[in-house]
Amino acid sequence: MESKPLVVVGAGAAGTAAAIEAARAGVQVTLIDENPISTAMMGLNVPQFFGRRYTDAMQDTSLTLEMVTSANDALSEAQEAGVDVRLGTCVWGAFANTETSRVLDGPQLGLSDGVRSWLMKYDRLIVAAGARDLGIPFAGWDLTGSMGANGAYSLMSRYDALSSRRIVVLGSGSLGLNTAIMALDRGIEVPAVVDVSPIVQGDEALLAQLRHRGVALYTSHTVREAIGTDGEVESVVLVEIDKHCEPISGSEKVISADTVCLAIGLVPNVELLSLLGCELHFKSELGGHVPNHDNRMRTSVANVFVAGDVAGFHDGMTLDIEFARSRGRLAGIAAAQSLGAIDEEDAVARMSDLRPADSTPTEVHTNWRRWLKSLVNCGGPDIFVCQCEEVTFADLIETRPPRYLGWESDPMSRRSVKTLLEDGPVNPNQVKRLTRAGTGECQGRLCREQVSMLLAEESGAGLADIPLMSYRPPLRPLPLKVMWPHEETEQVRSDWPKWFSPTSQVLG
Amino acid sequence: MPLGSADVVVIGAGVSGLASAYYLAKAGKDVAVVEKGFVGGEASGRNGGMISERVDEPPMIPMAVESLKIWPTLDDELGYPTEFTHQGRLQVAVSEEEMGDLFSERDEALRRGLSVEQLDPSEVLDLIPGITGRTLGGLFFANGGHANPQRSVQAFAWAFQDLGGRIYQHTAVTGMTVADSRVSSVETTAGPIETDLVVAAAGPQTGLLAEMVGAHVPVAPARVEIIATAPLDPLFNIAIVGNGLYGRQAARGNLLFGGGPHEWTDVGLTTDPNKTNTPLIRNIARRLAELLPGVADVPVIRSWAGVVEQAPDYLPIIDRLDNPSNYVVVTASAHGFGISPATGKAVSELVLSGQSSIDIGALGLDRFSEVGGDWREERGWIPVPHRS
Repeated sequence: MESKPLVVVGAGAAGTAAAIEAARAGVQVTLIDENPISTAMMGLNVPQFFGRRYTDAMQDTSLTLEMVTSANDALSEAQEAGVDVRLGTCVWGAFANTETSRVLDGPQLGLSDGVRSWLMKYDRLIVAAGARDLGIPFAGWDLTGSMGANGAYSLMSRYDALSSRRIVVLGSGSLGLNTAIMALDRGIEVPAVVDVSPIVQGDEALLAQLRHRGVALYTSHTVREAIGTDGEVESVVLVEIDKHCEPISGSEKVISADTVCLAIGLVPNVELLSLLGCELHFKSELGGHVPNHDNRMRTSVANVFVAGDVAGFHDGMTLDIEFARSRGRLAGIAAAQSLGAIDEEDAVARMSDLRPADSTPTEVHTNWRRWLKSLVNCGGPDIFVCQCEEVTFADLIETRPPRYLGWESDPMSRRSVKTLLEDGPVNPNQVKRLTRAGTGECQGRLCREQVSMLLAEESGAGLADIPLMSYRPPLRPLPLKVMWPHEETEQVRSDWPKWFSPTSQVLG
Repeated sequence: MPLGSADVVVIGAGVSGLASAYYLAKAGKDVAVVEKGFVGGEASGRNGGMISERVDEPPMIPMAVESLKIWPTLDDELGYPTEFTHQGRLQVAVSEEEMGDLFSERDEALRRGLSVEQLDPSEVLDLIPGITGRTLGGLFFANGGHANPQRSVQAFAWAFQDLGGRIYQHTAVTGMTVADSRVSSVETTAGPIETDLVVAAAGPQTGLLAEMVGAHVPVAPARVEIIATAPLDPLFNIAIVGNGLYGRQAARGNLLFGGGPHEWTDVGLTTDPNKTNTPLIRNIARRLAELLPGVADVPVIRSWAGVVEQAPDYLPIIDRLDNPSNYVVVTASAHGFGISPATGKAVSELVLSGQSSIDIGALGLDRFSEVGGDWREERGWIPVPHRS
């Protein structure tokens, strides 16, 4: 098994900065990034919400590899600094011993290049896995052309492969405004930027630019539905809402568009941290569950550091790439110091020009919950909350068994999240297993925030009191033949027990 | 809010405890279930869902056969779906060793008068299209099937509540008051409950609870793992054992398969054990792809682990203690899900009349009279040391 002193997961601004800094401090660094992502994975909206709106160029893997490399100057800088850069490699698992699992001879990652999988041990790990799009339901959000801001950003900036021609952007934070400007710069029309809030929330300079370029801004509006034949978005119906988030009838506007982009917010990708047992806490200002870390980006698990958006994202960071780099560099220096590559004095010197964020985080869930409320008010009980498993709002709230069971009974119809609450605090893992919301191929990446917000709404509990729906390996859908351990030893084959027979445990 | 009193306190909202609670409530008892986590949160809600006559464990056959009479009636009885399907169980042999197991189980089944059919490779292929060409033979038990664990345990929970039963989730047992050889009160993190009778159905924690009342119930906790694929069109509705795995296709279409090495562990009384997956899930994936080569391109979309318990002879324990005399032990050695309806019935009869109409003679605690306090160390059924 490969064993590395320092592995950095994610080659965005923070991850590359961390890798470069650690390499310059003399550490042998391995930098892993799953881009270019296969179209098979993209089609499942994993890891980002791509909405299947990409050009045929994505089919050409040598071309996409070239795109990913040329779009990211820091990658060549990292290579020059001696970093071992592994592109097209996803991290689908992280394994470390726990109280009930002691067989590993060190923490390790599960990796795959889409053809095969393998394990890699590490002494230090820097997770720079970024953030993902907040999923939020409206009628038609399962159509091709419904996508997230991060998915759109990746297709525009990394692959130059976004096939949209007219995009309605949901969310007027800097994330939404910046998405609109990027689209305009690429010759894509933006007929509308929409927000449930009565005022535009993002950066004023971006707003002025959008106004100058004639983009219509719809505040106090929400999406009634995205309409399309042949499974593709053709138009988006907006409607004005009152202060209770109820749609005002007669205020509908039908806007022709082939894409509707959810740019309402981003949620840190804490999956790997969760698998490794890093302590997480809920902080609305940072986008949800985020890792506890010290002032050198070290998590509660001593050999795991975080860098970039995974440590917490707020809207102002959209425009503050230098802050992402600063946090990446900090993690890289701290990891190098903890490995003994540089001493404390040297580490402090290298940290001297790091700077804090140039914007202040603000609480986001009031806005997110307004969005959700308005969409449920407009879409009614039958909108899909979980696309993968086709679980509707009503299915979730009434804890209905999945419809393929065709089950109806009086006792069942009296059950709901509310009656579950009589037994104790609600747990999304229990609701998941009953309704199947979150059990699909995206592992709840498009629905878990909505599920938590809906459970909070139903229970009156604070969002911080709703436990994180669990993440399990593999964190990417991985074909059996890819997961297949080609290095499996003859001993593992021959020692494989029947159920508890032999009774001695087989290790390793 | 004080928990008050109850005729019976059941410790553990797993499938054994809730099935027992259900039948006791149905018989008119005032029953309270205390659970440190949530309903079905541990092994009861995360097991393989297999249901069989347990020819592989002959002392369990009476319980298993009785359960298979009840399972088909459960959805209507409880008013909630269990996803029970009664299409049989197929044991596939892909090695000479598995062939040997096949013959011995066939002989055992025939001795017991159970329905069993030995299949040649082409007959196995008819039942499971796409099964590996390495198949040497099969054994088909028509009386077998599978169900959805979480849905089934929740069905028992809800039906129990519909009869007026109480479930206290997130409530851990911290002690028991024993006077005159009887438990008079169960202390919990939410306060005491006075009771006439205790049913301890706490899975891996059952041994620790028994220590509280001075009794010795030998069980060793162990962690095991399962993988789940993306949903597929219906391939088969039969529970399968073979190539070192056990599994099924769920109603939704996902293939759910587990097996392989377990890991002995320890558990706490008030905490949830880590249900960690290890790289073993890759070995399980390989064995599934070997067993069903046609699905090798199907993605695995998650995995999970569970902590079960094992008695020294891998069999359930259903017994009433001599001292304290109002304390019933129910633990199933990781066989609890399939036999749960019979467990519920047997426990309720044991409580109500002192004896069960189902033959549980082989499941009593007296069989461990020679098992000492350090039996786990002697057998090596203990966690490996932490590595530095």
